[in-house]
Amino acid sequence: MKNFKKIFSIFLLGLFGVTSCDVDNTIDPNRASVGSVEKNPSQNQINFLAVGLQSAMRDGIRDFYLNTGTVGREIVYSASTDNRYFNELLGTEAANFGGANDPNGIFNTYYNAFSQGRRRAEVFTRSAETAAILTTAQKAGIKGFARTVQAYLALNLLNMQNTKGIRETFGDLSSPGDLLKPGPFGTYITGLTLIKGYLDEGATALAAAGTSFAFPMTSGWAGFDTPATFLTFNRALAARVAMYQLDWPGMITALNASFLNIAGPLTTGPKYTYSTTPGDLVNTLWHNPNDNGAPYVIFDQLVTDAESGDTRLSKVALRTTPRASGQAIVSNNEVVMYATNVSPVSILRNEELILMLAEARIQTNDLPGGIAALDVIRTASGLPTMAVAKPAVTTQAQLLDEVLNQRRYSLFWEGHRWIDVRRYNKIGILPLQGLVSGNTYVVFPQFSRPDAEVQWDKANP
Amino acid sequence: MKKILLLFLLFATLTNFSGYAQERIVTGKVTGADGTGLPGVNVTLKGTSSGTITDVEGSFSISVAVADAELLFSFVGYVTESVKVGNSTTLSIQLTEDIATLQEVVVSGLATSVKRSNLANSVASITAKELVGTTRPVTLDGALNGKLVGANISANSGAPGGGFSVRLRGISSINQNSEPLYIIDGVYLDNSQFQTGAGTGPFSGATGQTSGTQDQATNRIADINPADIENIEVLKGPSAAAIYGSRANAGVILITTKKGKAGKTTVQFGQDIGFAEALHLVGIHKTPWDTNKINAGVFLLSNATMATLFAANGSGAKTSDYEKEIYGNTGALSTSRLNVSGGTDKMKFFVAGSSTDEKGIQKRTGFTRNSIRVNLDFKVSKAIDFAMTSNYLSTSTSRSFSGNDNNGVSLGYNLAYLPNWLEQHPVNGIYPTNPLTGQNPLQIVDLAENNETTNRFIQSFSTNIFLLNKADHSLKLSIQGGVDFLLTESEVYMSDEIQFQKNRANPGASRYTKSRNLSTNLQGFLVDELKYKDFNFTTSLGAIRLTTERDISSIQGEGLKPGQRNPNTGAVRTPNSFFAKWQDVGFVAQEEINWGDKVIVTGGIRFDKSSLNGDYQKLYPFGKASLAVNLTNFSFWKFDPISALKLRVAYGQTGNSPSFGSKFTALNDVLIGGRSGYVPNSVYGNAGIKPETANEIEFGADFGFLKNRITLEATYYTKNVVDFIDVFNLSPGTGVTQFSAYNIGDLENTGVELSLGATVVTNSKVTWNTQLSYWQNRSKITKLIVPEYVVGSSGFGAFGTNRIRLNESPSAWYGTPLVGGQRTKYENSQPDYQISWRNSITFLTNFEFSFLFHTSQGNFNASLNQELTDEGGTSPDWSNKAADGITPVGVARQLGQPGVTTRQFIQDASYIKLREVALYYNVPVKSLPGSWKNSIEGIRVGVSGNNLALWTNYYGYDPEASNFGNRPVGGGVDLMSFPSSRRMFFHLTVTF
Repeated sequence: MKNFKKIFSIFLLGLFGVTSCDVDNTIDPNRASVGSVEKNPSQNQINFLAVGLQSAMRDGIRDFYLNTGTVGREIVYSASTDNRYFNELLGTEAANFGGANDPNGIFNTYYNAFSQGRRRAEVFTRSAETAAILTTAQKAGIKGFARTVQAYLALNLLNMQNTKGIRETFGDLSSPGDLLKPGPFGTYITGLTLIKGYLDEGATALAAAGTSFAFPMTSGWAGFDTPATFLTFNRALAARVAMYQLDWPGMITALNASFLNIAGPLTTGPKYTYSTTPGDLVNTLWHNPNDNGAPYVIFDQLVTDAESGDTRLSKVALRTTPRASGQAIVSNNEVVMYATNVSPVSILRNEELILMLAEARIQTNDLPGGIAALDVIRTASGLPTMAVAKPAVTTQAQLLDEVLNQRRYSLFWEGHRWIDVRRYNKIGILPLQGLVSGNTYVVFPQFSRPDAEVQWDKANP
Repeated sequence: MKKILLLFLLFATLTNFSGYAQERIVTGKVTGADGTGLPGVNVTLKGTSSGTITDVEGSFSISVAVADAELLFSFVGYVTESVKVGNSTTLSIQLTEDIATLQEVVVSGLATSVKRSNLANSVASITAKELVGTTRPVTLDGALNGKLVGANISANSGAPGGGFSVRLRGISSINQNSEPLYIIDGVYLDNSQFQTGAGTGPFSGATGQTSGTQDQATNRIADINPADIENIEVLKGPSAAAIYGSRANAGVILITTKKGKAGKTTVQFGQDIGFAEALHLVGIHKTPWDTNKINAGVFLLSNATMATLFAANGSGAKTSDYEKEIYGNTGALSTSRLNVSGGTDKMKFFVAGSSTDEKGIQKRTGFTRNSIRVNLDFKVSKAIDFAMTSNYLSTSTSRSFSGNDNNGVSLGYNLAYLPNWLEQHPVNGIYPTNPLTGQNPLQIVDLAENNETTNRFIQSFSTNIFLLNKADHSLKLSIQGGVDFLLTESEVYMSDEIQFQKNRANPGASRYTKSRNLSTNLQGFLVDELKYKDFNFTTSLGAIRLTTERDISSIQGEGLKPGQRNPNTGAVRTPNSFFAKWQDVGFVAQEEINWGDKVIVTGGIRFDKSSLNGDYQKLYPFGKASLAVNLTNFSFWKFDPISALKLRVAYGQTGNSPSFGSKFTALNDVLIGGRSGYVPNSVYGNAGIKPETANEIEFGADFGFLKNRITLEATYYTKNVVDFIDVFNLSPGTGVTQFSAYNIGDLENTGVELSLGATVVTNSKVTWNTQLSYWQNRSKITKLIVPEYVVGSSGFGAFGTNRIRLNESPSAWYGTPLVGGQRTKYENSQPDYQISWRNSITFLTNFEFSFLFHTSQGNFNASLNQELTDEGGTSPDWSNKAADGITPVGVARQLGQPGVTTRQFIQDASYIKLREVALYYNVPVKSLPGSWKNSIEGIRVGVSGNNLALWTNYYGYDPEASNFGNRPVGGGVDLMSFPSSRRMFFHLTVTF
């Protein structure tokens, strides 16, 4: 027994000597945690969250433009080694996937990006509300900014999902179980109502936000970087929503409160900026001219349908070698909208506001007013006025067609063509539909609800 | 450490070690079948624990106390002989080889071992001879292929330097680590695949691909030199590996390296030279082209442009076999080795140096390994021994570019789209552009770099201190520790001259990554062995601590100055760093009870905690229990034809800690307009994450017939993985796509392993040993708390993906068409069964012939090979007519064509491979001229082949392929992977 004790004590001594019996409570050595900003963030943390939201707002824009641009028969991402970009997106697989794209495929990234943006804006708002360092007005500024961003992202999401709607409630972010209780899907109509609510709530907050934001606005927001000027962007979005709601008087009201300037430069508006600084994004809508790897080529009808002299055709250029994308599409032209991979991308600009004004006036039977607005665009694009070029176009219906036509060129590959023809029930005018070269091409009216959502609802009825 | 050792030294001197009564001395010699002395044979006096071992000549000397003494002669690999001493004072014993290797000692705990004949598990054991004695597979995991019953081993690609996924007994995890734990001489090895960036945007054109999940890097077990290995034991499932706790879910591979033997110093020099060539090429140059095809096809360029291009390239008058030019080269293989071993009773040494240089079948690819090893064993005193192993390794690989691709950089991919008439050969250093994929493939071969170099130190030490050492009772303290330090440096470089770089915003890119990993392990055990009547009790108690520290940093430059590789010269510089650090602590207790080798019962428990778990202080228990009954050791057993019959059952639990970072919810760093910011990650961590665990019950029966001339080992197991970890996919509409890790379900593996061994012929002229093995595994999801989902990176949409669906196998493929909203289920990437057949024949005294066949049947790949070559017009049968009699099959088979569903891409990847063949000749040195005879102990020459032949209906380079690297689920995605090679050698070994 005496021996045993000796042995045992030496054994223990040995063990303590050779092995420390503790393990560390590791904190993430690579990134800050979400928890660190949830309660009473510092000014620095507020700044980082604000810049973060401005940066992440760009996520999904490439996929949104690429998807709508392809379905709307504007462009083709002619990836040499992945034909899904010009088969699946053009509807050749629609019969296999319940009428649209693969619910599980590669075209859902916009869905995640826009949904994440909505949540990030929410996290920012809620974080700011707990900040002791901020005044009430500063908190209102953050809320106004974040609600507007939320509305913009949700609108893009809703337009992709169309009649399938979007999830309309978020649950309580501060409760950990919230992620497991997403709200139900609404309809396109209820979705628009929700987004209008975001914008109006944002506008009210911006009006009470004082003269400046309590966080930095990056260079793309130059001219829209105070609560008052940012409000004009908020109202421009409100005009878009009213347009989709067919609320023409509401649209005119919103336009009047926006940065619409019928005599001003068409390019005025906030922009997404890019750079090659590590951590920043580059503009992935850019490609090297005449690239053979994965160029953005176009449906040549844009060029062949154009009125002669239209300066907006400078957005595209003739390729040195024509490009085939599958059997049915040969493109002689490609996109040259962005000079470099750091060229900015317009979020919403005066040109669109003027076209919205034209549409709203025509819809409210102010046809001369509508023509006047159209002529501003036509003249700026090197085209003669309506009276000279298209004297026979006089009825409301004809003029609305002209609005769509001008939007096709002014807003080329900016996420509008497909939605425009859809809201006027004119999907049939898009090219490449039906059986062509052995493939059946379909313009689908909305993207599939992602499989993850379908599976979620199946499991959580 | 020093202090503790001193303490024990002090203690040991105080302890009284009893001696034995000495009555008379018996001497003798133990020889093998050929009459040469066998050194190291255990000679024990039956019924006691006293004994000795034979010296280098096979001679022994032992004192026996009683008249009717009986001596037992046992030696690994030989049948134990029992000899009555009688009145003799000298004995001559001849031992016969035991194919069942029942005397072999197998690990049964962290500090204990047991004779194979008393083992309750099916533990596969692979000797040096089986591992590398036939031919020279370049890496350890490759050397195991086809030799391990119950393992599904698959090469990820044929690129030099390996890259294998090893799955023991089915699927142990869905997305966590699923590779077995490798332990070499007690050192826990790092087997990471470090990302190089070769698959990211600047080098492959993959938009937004910034991390290298498709880099196709090699896994670090490739560093280990197979030639240093004496023996490998494989604990295939939790029932055997339970004592390794929370790192053993996927099984444990225990590697023991060679040790010195007391006696004459032996010097051995070995040289292998050989060559490698592609095992199989698709033959795309055979595809005929003409104007009709150009006009009828669907290519990357318009038919008109293709026609112009065709005409400009001579309308097919001159064709080139680019596949052969790129993959059809012969690579020179060479390995030189020098071993020196020897020692005394007090100190034994084994020193080995080796240098391997293997060139690939593609120009400028290859693998090199330089290794220096020193293994030392000290007997400090009767009570204390000490051993250390040191190994320095330097390996490098050049793998070029293969696998998934967006821009024609990957050569297999590029070839698929390259018509044989398109001129791509450089003229005066100018490479013609490739208007199809946007990249000239020969330029990638000649100018692009994808290299990786690893410097690695593996150091182990162990000591046993006997606190008590009596005949019937011993108590030892066993301390073991190890360090594995490695630094892997990778270089990926493409100059601005490369065609696809010219199309980038900032042409010319390089990325240098340094991955440093330090793993340590330290364990202390008390082992008590008590003999009471017929019973042996072995009790062990101990603790273990494991740590890992990792630091990975890279710098990437884009827009490099011409001729410069330094990323600093780039217009855009992207640095990145990643830190990780974790520790595990375990406490172990184990009891083994052996009743006269008749009934052996083992029970044990281990408690583990890990900093990787959500609750880092919680101890998770892993238990085990087993029973083995040797029926033939009971006195009632009289049936001689059955010489051995053991029934066994074993149960055990293991765990797998969540991977690093699973519990963190991070803010992602982003930037805009020169300002820094952060946003919540779209993937949330799980602060409550628990380890996934597995429990396994294994039943088996081991038979030996006719003095173990025929053996049969049969095992059935059920392995349940409980609370397996994978992502928890949320409704993406919430803005969080998933929890990165969640304990979401259970899965079950059931399998059968059969192994039949026989000495078919044995006489003075010929000995023929054969072993036929069969194994199968079935997996099924038995519980799932989340909706059915697609396994991440398990394929490409309609080309087939793996889904996790209740009551189905996780490795089954799914795809179109959707029937009632449900995806159609296709075949499985796991094989229905595998069979291996190993043979070794010794004839004419000095010749040895051996071969190994291996087949995997019923395993299916999600293959894009056909699609790619159809799109490129390069499938050899492209112009054959489809069912309608008009459309070329090369068009009709493409995705998007009427009737084409995922069925088209889920391809049978069954194969039969002749993995190894060898013929050796042992030069009879005794017949050599005088001076040679005296200085040379042995000369062995031979020829061998590795992967000599492949029989398969699979379309592609090799049915073994995995674009996404080592994955438990999601392997078997093939996009024209790097072709595997057939390797042939000439061998020479001289022993002095």
